[in-house]
Amino acid sequence: MPPPRPRWWLRRRGSAALPRPYLASPISASRSSCRSCSCRTAKPRTGIASSCLLLGPRARGASFPAGPSPLLLPSPRYSATSGSASSGCSGYGGGGLLATAGPGAAARNRLVVKTSLSSPPWPVFKLPDPVEETKYHTEVVQRVNEMIATGQYGRLFAVVHLASKQWKVTSEDLILMENFLPAECGDRIRLEKVLLVGADDFTLIGKPLLGKDLVRVEATVIEKTESWPKINMKFWKRHSYRKKKVVIQPQTVLRINSIEIFPCLS
Amino acid sequence: MTGRGTSSRFLASVLRNGLGRYVCQLQRLSLVFSPASPSSRGARDYVEEKVVDFARSNPGIVVYVNPKDCRGPTVVAEYLNGTVREESIANRTVEDIAQLICKLASQSGLEIIRIRKPFHTNHPSIQGQWHPFTNKPSGLGLQTLHRVNQPGFPPPE
Repeated sequence: MPPPRPRWWLRRRGSAALPRPYLASPISASRSSCRSCSCRTAKPRTGIASSCLLLGPRARGASFPAGPSPLLLPSPRYSATSGSASSGCSGYGGGGLLATAGPGAAARNRLVVKTSLSSPPWPVFKLPDPVEETKYHTEVVQRVNEMIATGQYGRLFAVVHLASKQWKVTSEDLILMENFLPAECGDRIRLEKVLLVGADDFTLIGKPLLGKDLVRVEATVIEKTESWPKINMKFWKRHSYRKKKVVIQPQTVLRINSIEIFPCLS
Repeated sequence: MTGRGTSSRFLASVLRNGLGRYVCQLQRLSLVFSPASPSSRGARDYVEEKVVDFARSNPGIVVYVNPKDCRGPTVVAEYLNGTVREESIANRTVEDIAQLICKLASQSGLEIIRIRKPFHTNHPSIQGQWHPFTNKPSGLGLQTLHRVNQPGFPPPE
């Protein structure tokens, strides 16, 4: 009888080697092979005693059909040949097994004693009922619409796509673009690509943009200047290699005047 | 020099320009040129052709024209925050001078040095700045409170 392999060894062979019932999924059932003798017959992972259990050179462990022992945590590769109906080719132990028999019984119908490995270490979330979810969504949308209509918000911020960059912007703040706009100084501009608008209590997230009838972001062009002369120089020592280029970019400064939202959510 | 070796400033505007009304920041423009020298030819042509239209279209800028003996023709721009910028227009064409004067008119008087950040805001956070305890359940301090309320606290010394 070879010595039992340590847990890190089992981890190397993939998650299927570890006795964790929450990792068993019906999808992988069709692709499983008999683990005890590693023959290629596709076997479902659950509750069926395999006929090829005890045969083959890789069969280890007891060769007599033992009854299910609730305290056993059989390691599937090496002691899966206990003849209990649910282990064997199923590959998963996870505490004691009281098999609900029957072909096609899903893994989740099995009763599993609670051990440290019988349930996943991450929290299990239950998805809500879709009808309830839609009701909840409509309620939320109504409430936000009401809040917008009655004006129950303070300062708004928006994420705006401008000059190939995204800026988080409120009213009264300044933005510098490294290019010229065709607008003159003092012109009022509307920024149309708005990705997100938020207030203190709610946020409106666009997929990817918000509608033009929902948000209005206005800005004024304040200044059209040039940048400071940036020096682009390359130099390799002892090679007589030097290049110098002075780069002056046009710049535009915008002042965001206002962000307005309108109650037309649906 | 590098950005680190030269002076720098943050993006700003002069007296919150643009919030209420936009005000052109150029206050005074003085064209100084010689009536005879060859380097002032472009300046003389500009004064003949284009300066009147410019002055009419920018009523907020006061334009002075000074034909006098000078070392070289220059244009002096004075801004509302007191900055004075002098640029030479020697041996330049009329279009060049016109472009330069338009550029001067659309600048504010702030220094042209490295700008550290391309944005400026007085309200950086609206929904509250993140700290490690936002979006965490607020039961962390409650455990100590339970302990305090149970009998046998403080433990006898």
